[in-house]
Amino acid sequence: MVEEGGGGGAMSFLKRFPPPAEGVRHQQPDTEAVLAGRTLGAGTLYIAESRLSWLENSGVGFSLDYPTISLHAVSRDLNAYPWEHLYVMVNAKFEEEESKEAPMAEGEEEEDSDDDVEPIAEFRFVPSDKSALEAMFSAMCECQALHPDPDDEDSDNDYEGEEYDVEAHELEQGDIPTFYTYEEGLSHLTAEGQATLERLEGMLAQSVSSQYNMAGVRTEDSIREFEDGMEVDIAPVVAGQFEDAEVDH
Amino acid sequence: MEVSHSVKERTIAENSLVILLQGLHGHITTVDLRDESTATGRVTNVDAFMNVRLVEVTFTDRQGTVSRLDELFVTGRNVRYVHIPDEVDIRATIERQLQAIHRVRYFGGRDKGRKEFPRAKHK
Repeated sequence: MVEEGGGGGAMSFLKRFPPPAEGVRHQQPDTEAVLAGRTLGAGTLYIAESRLSWLENSGVGFSLDYPTISLHAVSRDLNAYPWEHLYVMVNAKFEEEESKEAPMAEGEEEEDSDDDVEPIAEFRFVPSDKSALEAMFSAMCECQALHPDPDDEDSDNDYEGEEYDVEAHELEQGDIPTFYTYEEGLSHLTAEGQATLERLEGMLAQSVSSQYNMAGVRTEDSIREFEDGMEVDIAPVVAGQFEDAEVDH
Repeated sequence: MEVSHSVKERTIAENSLVILLQGLHGHITTVDLRDESTATGRVTNVDAFMNVRLVEVTFTDRQGTVSRLDELFVTGRNVRYVHIPDEVDIRATIERQLQAIHRVRYFGGRDKGRKEFPRAKHK
């Protein structure tokens, strides 16, 4: 347990550890961390796939595991808290100094006595660069989604659906994508690839519509994205023309 | 109406009422959390694990303090109730979501083939 803490006073949960090296989706320097209204100092927030970490500039900090995080949010309501920040509610208790003389923004000290209820700790991460809040929020959403609740007894999640088995069999490796979804694939195209895609799409739309005088116009609504990356127009298509086509995965 | 790109998530959704929540994209709804706080906002995403993403949120914490949050992500584990807005037709929403999943699944045949053909194809 490292007793030193930049924010004044001993926060015994602060430890020294190296910043995460892998799976860091977002990193935000010059970010203040606040626990229950009490500042822990300025440091860097690391939003990594394995855990959320914050390291003060002096090198001590703490980590939060995603399963313990109940929710996170972007707060720009200056009436509630004077600085725009990323709010993170954690299902755990963190030791903090007893000093209640420090003015707290929303009377969180009342929560300390609610020990019979679930423990809750409220963290606020205040970046000096407010415009980063969107990216920080999104990165956290992505990482949270990687940690679904293992104790979920209510849902019957043995997905033995036909689709799941067949697909898992076809793709040799279960969930690892072997092809791009439309959006992913698009971003991997070079400018030339993009031009080629547009030309081919144009040709396809043209050939079908000119032959059969199709009423439908391709709009965003009529395009559905499919896992195999094929973009299919679900507006009425001519019967027979492609019926025997093989869909290549 | 969006369908998850993940096979696993589609299968989970199809076999649970999460599919109804996924049909609430764009609607303003209230989510009651496990710790008795509530969040009212516009749904932008619900995944198969019932993680809910809201924007333009009015958040009331368990002490009753109200604040605004631009965006909120609640983990499925911490959702107690999701209020279905009155204007939502529950049955129609579930059917629509199921259709969206089936369109994705049965594209390309696998003995099912294309079902829809235009009425006026050869005139």
